[in-house]
Amino acid sequence: MTVRRDQSSQKSGFGRTGHIFVFPYVVFFLLFAAYPLVFSLILVFHRWNIVTPMEWVGFKNFVRLLNDPLFAKAIGNTLLFLAVHIPLQIVVALLFALLLNTRIAARGAFRAIFFLPVVVSGVVVTILWQQVYAYDNGILNAIALSLGLPRVPWIIDPSMAMPSIALMATWKNVGIYIVLFLVGLQNIPKELYESASLDGADSIRRFFYITIPMLNPSMILVVVLSTIGGFSLFIEPYVMTGGGPMQSTLSAMLYIYNQAFYFGHMGYAATLGFVFAVMILAVVLLQKRLLEREAVVA
Amino acid sequence: MKTLGRYILLFSGGVIFAYPFLWMAVGALKPEAEIHDLALWSSHLSLASLEKVFAKVPLARSFLNSVIVSAFTTLSVIFFGSMVGYALAKLQFKGRQVLYAAILFTMMVPFQLTLIPQYILIVKLGLTDSYLGLIAPTMMSALSIVIFRQFFLGIPDALLDAARIDGCSELRILFRVVWPLARPTVLTVAILTFMTSWNEVLWPLLVVRERSLMTMPQLVTIFVTGGEAETQLGVQLAAATMLALPVTILYAFFQRYFIDSMVSTGLKG
Amino acid sequence: MTLARGFSFRLALPLLLIVGCAENKESFSPGSGSITLTYWPAPNPEEIKLADTLVALWNKTHPSVQVRMQPIPVSQSTEEVLLAAIAAKTTPDVCSNIWPGALYEYTVAGGLIALNRFPDFDSLMNARIPSDLLKFFRKMGEPAYQIPWKTNPVMMVCNVALFEEAGIGKLPRTYSEYLQAGENIVRDRDGDGQIDVWLGERDIRPIWWQRLFDFYPFYIAASGGKTLFEGQEESMDRHAAAQVMGFFQECYERNYFPRTFFQGGDPFLLGVKATHFSGPWQVAAIKKFAPTMRYEVVPLPVPDGGLATVHTYGDFKNIAIFSTTQHPAEAWEFVKFLVSAEHDLLLLQIANQIPVRRDLLRNPLFEPFFQDNPEMVPFAEQATYTRGIDEVPDLKEIFDALSQEYEVCAVYGRKSPSEAADDMAKRTRMIMEWNQ
Repeated sequence: MTVRRDQSSQKSGFGRTGHIFVFPYVVFFLLFAAYPLVFSLILVFHRWNIVTPMEWVGFKNFVRLLNDPLFAKAIGNTLLFLAVHIPLQIVVALLFALLLNTRIAARGAFRAIFFLPVVVSGVVVTILWQQVYAYDNGILNAIALSLGLPRVPWIIDPSMAMPSIALMATWKNVGIYIVLFLVGLQNIPKELYESASLDGADSIRRFFYITIPMLNPSMILVVVLSTIGGFSLFIEPYVMTGGGPMQSTLSAMLYIYNQAFYFGHMGYAATLGFVFAVMILAVVLLQKRLLEREAVVA
Repeated sequence: MKTLGRYILLFSGGVIFAYPFLWMAVGALKPEAEIHDLALWSSHLSLASLEKVFAKVPLARSFLNSVIVSAFTTLSVIFFGSMVGYALAKLQFKGRQVLYAAILFTMMVPFQLTLIPQYILIVKLGLTDSYLGLIAPTMMSALSIVIFRQFFLGIPDALLDAARIDGCSELRILFRVVWPLARPTVLTVAILTFMTSWNEVLWPLLVVRERSLMTMPQLVTIFVTGGEAETQLGVQLAAATMLALPVTILYAFFQRYFIDSMVSTGLKG
Repeated sequence: MTLARGFSFRLALPLLLIVGCAENKESFSPGSGSITLTYWPAPNPEEIKLADTLVALWNKTHPSVQVRMQPIPVSQSTEEVLLAAIAAKTTPDVCSNIWPGALYEYTVAGGLIALNRFPDFDSLMNARIPSDLLKFFRKMGEPAYQIPWKTNPVMMVCNVALFEEAGIGKLPRTYSEYLQAGENIVRDRDGDGQIDVWLGERDIRPIWWQRLFDFYPFYIAASGGKTLFEGQEESMDRHAAAQVMGFFQECYERNYFPRTFFQGGDPFLLGVKATHFSGPWQVAAIKKFAPTMRYEVVPLPVPDGGLATVHTYGDFKNIAIFSTTQHPAEAWEFVKFLVSAEHDLLLLQIANQIPVRRDLLRNPLFEPFFQDNPEMVPFAEQATYTRGIDEVPDLKEIFDALSQEYEVCAVYGRKSPSEAADDMAKRTRMIMEWNQ
């Protein structure tokens, strides 16, 4: 990038203006990005409940974390959530994107409806779905009963509760990914399909050999965004199940929240947050690497 | 035949996504015993549940709080985001590369790491239970800076040079020349920021305890989980419906912009 | 009230740094030489009314030491408000809503003064507190920060009509009798395939304070009056704990207790469940919302074989003086005023709560009240045989862990009672160790 303005006065003028423009952000950065980062690295070696002075404990927080059955459970729950949520999201989003990608009327209306849950607050969705999942006469069980089927313990059964939350999360977010896939689909050159048909490929082959590979960037996006979102899972278990039944919906964020604000263990909560953040980074980087490699291969 | 199949699937999808909202809105108006009916109508509709909600919690006040917080956040993010984005794209200054790298870095750090220290900072600054405490950590957004920078890079320097020769200060250039060009981007960032800020619950839960300062989603959360509405379904649904209403109304009018902004941001990410 | 406390405790810490006081507080002495003390009672209407009465009586007879009453904001739990006030040094002189479970947090923050500095403290305690309870509230050689004021013993309130309807003449006193009663009581009355009458019902969510109404009182009863700690050492009676868990496990397994939420009102008041574990406030609720209900209050069921005396959990609320007070001696006089016999009578009459007095049923001063309100007698009798919560750090986290074990074992039957009891003890030790 060449600098065409080489008059020194102008250059320093730009320099000053530039600095003035970014100065507020630098302050903001120091306060809300740099300081928290540094402080959290200090906090993990201390015990603190805000009221009494900080106490140095060395690596005790980390030792505790390694022996903490609840944290392990929370991580496991979060991974279970992702394992259900991400594939479901991809399949459903792809399905509706494919449907919308054809010549149909009212495409805009459908798109708008699918996208509505995305903009609405997670609190609304959770309150609503509590009634969808209610055991005695929630929406789903009422429908089941009228079909002669037994009631399903959606959020009462410890092994079903987290998958049920994953289902709800899919319902809430799939709208974005439907549109994302739709854009991706519309960007696939028609010629590819045409030449494939000429070569004798049927629609199934065309789907697996053209559509899916060409959608790879969108797929990566769906996976990475859903993963990051999944790791932040908090308000849904907080409102819907409080982490139960039997801690099966205790998400990592909910556990960290409890440790910090329910029990007052700031140092330990910071440690949990730190380790969790490292995990997230590792997972996301791994995903990117794996999926991008597939794109290259394809 | 295939087309019919498609329509059936799409229509089913539509029902799956729309029916629960309708059921919720109607449930807020039905008498308690009829709420569990799957029907979207009742002969005994009334505003009783809604009235109870407003009587028990300061919902209107929380709406106002959310509006204030979200509006200020949005304005602040756009203002500072475009300023820094412009500086990064079109101004030369020492440390430009370093700053940009730092901004990208903040986007990579998960909030789980910084949440607690940020909370402690707010406490130490004495900003709990205040609008500033709610707004401060989200006043500027790395994402918005990146988006603006991206867009501004595409503006031809010739345009800016012409304005400079005319004697315009950089600030004027930003607001008089660049912004009008950047309307779609500004709108994108605005919608995204407003929506995210409106729906944010975790941060308000930490920082605000005073009922009259709570944001709307926060107040509804507390109302529903705090035992005040526990056994009365109609009241819960009424609160949820009221919470959903503002964004839904905005969405109904600006649907295209909502979808476009969220998707285009995702694509860039 | 406990509901609000329980939920609000969940968000307790953020409030610590906030000046929680909704009102201005001054405790200076106006120039005329008179002193003003501030007094915070509990925020419920009955106790505020009581506080008003007491303060008016005091102010009339103590012109030079006036007391000003300030209620605590209703939307927050007293514990949070007090902790915030301690941190901000805006505490009152006297508060009568001290929950013993939070005492550790108050004292570790230096918020209270030791009451045993007053020469007549010990004689007052010996005269007031039943001997059975004394050792829990007064450990010689250690400072005492609270004086017990009132207690709400958790007992079993039975809907007599439902028992008679099921052909049961004698109210159950042991686990076997209780479960036996369930066999006849729990049934589908109107043939719609759903159970209409339950034996009991408890909130199955593992929220720590919910256990104060099932596991903890039953444990105190089954162990013959032991709590979970001996000083700062974990000393749970595992056998008793296992018995209690086994009992609740049976209740859930046999479907005598539902596992879902009741929507549409309080199931006991609606006559949908036969027994309810609660304190004296339930009596007031019945009088107000179900005045025609025939009920009887009995001690909690105990393991078979019976026990000489049945203890239970008493939700104690005590009085303390804060370290910010400028007039400790005068504050102490006011405290003594609050716990005098005439004023304990007012506590009974106005707020329907049981003062902690060893002579409650012997003192002729209280006789007319108990004659007019016989339903309060069982609570008064039980009051002597109650236990509180131990003052240990991380109480909430410990009870949280207990709740989780209870949930796994009793509600979902996934663990054997003895295993759950062992795990409870183990986790308690782990938590205490972490926070050494």
